[in-house]
Amino acid sequence: MIDMKRDVTSTSGREIILTRVLNAPRELVWKTWTEPKHVDQWMGPRGFKTKTDSMDVRPGGTWHYVMSHAEYGTFDNLITYREVVRPERLVYSHGTSEEPEQFHVTVTFVEEGGKTRLTMHSVWPTVEAFEAVRKFNVEDGGKQTLERLAEHLATQS
Amino acid sequence: MPPDRLDATFTALADPTRRAILARLAQGEASVNELAEPFAMSLPAISKHLKVLERAGLISRGRDAQRRPCRLEAAPLKEVAEWAEHYVRVWEERLDRLDEYLQELQRAEKKQGRKK
Repeated sequence: MIDMKRDVTSTSGREIILTRVLNAPRELVWKTWTEPKHVDQWMGPRGFKTKTDSMDVRPGGTWHYVMSHAEYGTFDNLITYREVVRPERLVYSHGTSEEPEQFHVTVTFVEEGGKTRLTMHSVWPTVEAFEAVRKFNVEDGGKQTLERLAEHLATQS
Repeated sequence: MPPDRLDATFTALADPTRRAILARLAQGEASVNELAEPFAMSLPAISKHLKVLERAGLISRGRDAQRRPCRLEAAPLKEVAEWAEHYVRVWEERLDRLDEYLQELQRAEKKQGRKK
């Protein structure tokens, strides 16, 4: 079961808001989100390696990265930045090279006494966009990637 | 789907307990007791959630007076509920890793500071 107390609220079926207080100054947290050498270290779920292909953090710029897993294969990710306000806000669309506009994410970084409150607000704009994510996630075997990922994560906890 | 029905659906999905109930029902039908079990919640409280889901057409209730098993309806919205749960799990894990990584970075910075 999800630990609801820790991170999550949601105001509608179409969006998810996660918030976490990270024990580090804001400038450092910003770096871990915007520099390839850092982001590749934490972005992948357990068992996945993340490799940044290119990263251009500015409005209209893109970040292309590949997540790979020994068993589940590779997953292409494309992030297109809409707003970049250092060190407080990142707004971007997340998708794949073929379908770049799958969902819309706003990340804010707020100082809280030497720590950083990070909030991620993810929205998929329409049911059609949700269908596009679903297509992206369906593997050859017909079983959804995220389902397998969730199973995999469950075995780790 | 008519707009007011879509509205009722998204309202039904707005609550994390209700989304979790849908995710559980995605694995197969269940009785009210079975659904209440993972939450520290009274049966009347769970029943309230089930009424909202039933009104939105997301679940149906069996007629067996004893068990009244709940069954998931509306496949696309079940996927939305499942997807949301998965997304949250993935991001919770990433943020855990980020937290650990940030501690490593700060420890390394301190070490470098002492060497000078």
